[in-house]
Amino acid sequence: MDGMIETSRRLFLGATGAALLVPVIARAQPAPAPTPPGMGDPGPNRGPGQVVPFIRIAADNSVTLLTPVTEMGQGTHTAHAQIIADELGCAFEAVRVEVGQPALPWRRQPANEQSSGASFGIRFWHDPLRRSAAAAREMLVAAAAQRLGVPMAELAVAEGRVSHAASNRAVTFGEVAEAAAQLPIPAQPVVKPPAERRLTRQPLMRKDIPAKVTGAQRYASDIKLPGMVYAVARLSPVPRAELDGFDRASVASIPGVLDVVPLRRGAAVVATNTWAAIEGAKALSIRFKATPEDGLSTEAMMRTLRQRTRTGEAARYRNEGDINAAAANGARVIEADYEAPYLAHACMETENATARLENGILELWVPTQNQDWALQGAARGAGVDAAHVRVHTTIAGGGFGRRFMGEVSEQVAQCVRHMGRPVKLIWLREDDIGQGWFRPAAAARLRASLDAQGNPTGFNFRTAAQSIFAELRPALMARPGTVDIFAAQSVATDHRYRWGGNIRAEWARVDFQMPVYIWRSVGSSQNGFFVESFVDEVAHATSKDPLEMRRQLLAHDRRALNVVNTVAERAGWGTSLPAGRHRGIAYVESYGSLCAHVAEVSVTGNRVKVHRVVVAIDCGDFVNPNTIAAQMEGSVVMGLSAMMGEKVTLKDGRAEQVNFDAYPVARLSHAPQVETHIIASGEAMGGVGEPGVPPLAPAVCNAIFAATGRRIRSLPLADHGLSF
Amino acid sequence: MIELTVNGHAHRLDASPDMPLLWALRDLLDLTGTKYGCGIAQCGACTVHLDGEPVRSCQTKLADVAGKQVTTIEGLHPEGRHPVQLAWVAEQVPQCGYCQSGQIMSAAALLARTPRPTEEQVAEAMDGHICRCGTYQRIKAAIHHAAIQS
Repeated sequence: MDGMIETSRRLFLGATGAALLVPVIARAQPAPAPTPPGMGDPGPNRGPGQVVPFIRIAADNSVTLLTPVTEMGQGTHTAHAQIIADELGCAFEAVRVEVGQPALPWRRQPANEQSSGASFGIRFWHDPLRRSAAAAREMLVAAAAQRLGVPMAELAVAEGRVSHAASNRAVTFGEVAEAAAQLPIPAQPVVKPPAERRLTRQPLMRKDIPAKVTGAQRYASDIKLPGMVYAVARLSPVPRAELDGFDRASVASIPGVLDVVPLRRGAAVVATNTWAAIEGAKALSIRFKATPEDGLSTEAMMRTLRQRTRTGEAARYRNEGDINAAAANGARVIEADYEAPYLAHACMETENATARLENGILELWVPTQNQDWALQGAARGAGVDAAHVRVHTTIAGGGFGRRFMGEVSEQVAQCVRHMGRPVKLIWLREDDIGQGWFRPAAAARLRASLDAQGNPTGFNFRTAAQSIFAELRPALMARPGTVDIFAAQSVATDHRYRWGGNIRAEWARVDFQMPVYIWRSVGSSQNGFFVESFVDEVAHATSKDPLEMRRQLLAHDRRALNVVNTVAERAGWGTSLPAGRHRGIAYVESYGSLCAHVAEVSVTGNRVKVHRVVVAIDCGDFVNPNTIAAQMEGSVVMGLSAMMGEKVTLKDGRAEQVNFDAYPVARLSHAPQVETHIIASGEAMGGVGEPGVPPLAPAVCNAIFAATGRRIRSLPLADHGLSF
Repeated sequence: MIELTVNGHAHRLDASPDMPLLWALRDLLDLTGTKYGCGIAQCGACTVHLDGEPVRSCQTKLADVAGKQVTTIEGLHPEGRHPVQLAWVAEQVPQCGYCQSGQIMSAAALLARTPRPTEEQVAEAMDGHICRCGTYQRIKAAIHHAAIQS
């Protein structure tokens, strides 16, 4: 913030002269400078050799980065190590990455929480990490100058050493780290110009992979503490239902079972090993209180959603031009209804946590995407003050938005309190899927008006869905008429199609008591499917090539145009294909990145095969191109998986699909060849973990239309009798 | 007492013969590279070798492995440098990594009996596994890589 004020003041003065100096300074002064991200009291992370909050340097020259971000497969830890090594001036191999505990420097504002989501890992943290490392480097140089008795300007930094060429002397980072840590942190560290950055924009090998191929990587579910016992949860099949009671005697005869711990929405069976705890959890006679949701069915919910795309209140988030006039004056109106189902994350590592309580300190090991919610949950569960909780974030076996919840942290802490000894708690797959925090279902109604030449003159988009934020961040949704930002994703300012300047977009909030939250790419995963399939419909209705249709809608926007042109060129759009193969294109912007896919698909009878997907992504700038390629490949598979067969339905308030036999997930033989083309446009950095998901389903469905003339307006494709 | 051999070491376990091998490996022998994913043989995260053949350890009772040779990811190679493991690093396969022990065990078993597998043979051997991160393209590349190397 300081930096921004300084910059704007300089620019202002340079352009307009000194007369304006007083008001600018007067405006800048009263507001106290907020603590920049990455700075402030390190709290429980305080340790020796801590030059800046994020960076510790040991006497042996090893560098520990205490990153804010959880590694759940997306590769952020490797990219963060690249940024730190690059800016600090040490070897990439010298940097070890751990996740810091919740404290001011690790938290994002204004929520004041440490979390990993919204594809923020690099796009938000790149600058704070780089500034931190630059500050640390300047402090190391200052300490070295004192040690060597030479001016700072005569010193050079490379490979973890500060050297003085004139006297042929050098000190290592480790030798001066403690002295550097005593110095004040510079407020305006100078980061290296891009031309001097050696380790970023490089496809360096991931740091976490070696341990992940030998079984050596310890996930939270692999932790074993002295005296630890094993707990398995048995939770209500109706996600909202609370515990009514259970019969301890029903598990008394199972060898190894030690106890049953009551939880808010169920119980945990504790045993000497996991198997005994599973046997106990399955055998436990347990009752749940009735809830108003016991009769909830997705069939009725989907009917309501469809109805709400047509009637009732809706919050409007775009209203440009006059869509009614455009429709009235137009030659033609095209309308279509779309829908998408509830989805489960199905991370391979089910929800779990391990904890112990010693000397009043509750230590928690958990694969979490929100360290503050984990901390608060554990404090509640153990009945200790939040200041007495230590959160150790483990490498997570997937995340995708599921691991924001503090439930397992609260539950394991309750178990520890009850048992008086360390406990590892795991959820069975059935609870991991069935307990939800599903991606909400949505219905949409789309309308485009066209002039006599078939040019688009207006776009009306209305969806109906639950609010992501309503339950977990109610303050954000308290005011009536508020738009949940997730509902508007990729149709708000991140929707660049012109539509003749006449655009209206609305969201009808529907409150079902169904636990929903974020799922990789969230609202864009639905809106992208709706809009991009519909644009294809409009193209075909006006006999336009689908690529040309998008070029026309984006003619005013060079950046977006470049993305669709790049993907088209790389995919050979318009060139001939092997017999039976057809192409579909889709372009979706989300999380600050512009992403387009071209899918090559064949359809034989009811069998669909996706052969190849070409991806172009403009994420502004990048750190590790190999990680981006991996994220695009994974996003294509996750988008494909959801499109093919994923769907959670409720009957009598219970999820009907709770394991992989009923919730089908894409497998190796479904995976197409993915080619990724990264566009470094120099624009502000965008996200990478999520933007690759939304274009996949519409690109494939548009290819299916090209192949068969059949328009798919609801997911998954299995509901249409299509197989893979 | 159940007697079994895991990664070349003989063990006598005081456990129920009904206990799935998965939990004996993880809880009793501290071999946690073998993972729980679904408990119903649908995801392959728990795959180990039983006398060289890939099996789902969540569905394999201790009673069934008495006297047999069990190999887990930790025992695939003494230094973790089995050609499949090296290929997995070279191709930068894992993302979250949780399913990869099982994937590697199935790939190693495949290549042991079919050194040059076709695309169909790879799919047949690997389709019992789920990778939610979607690393399949790299898994295919790594199996090909390992097949060429060995």
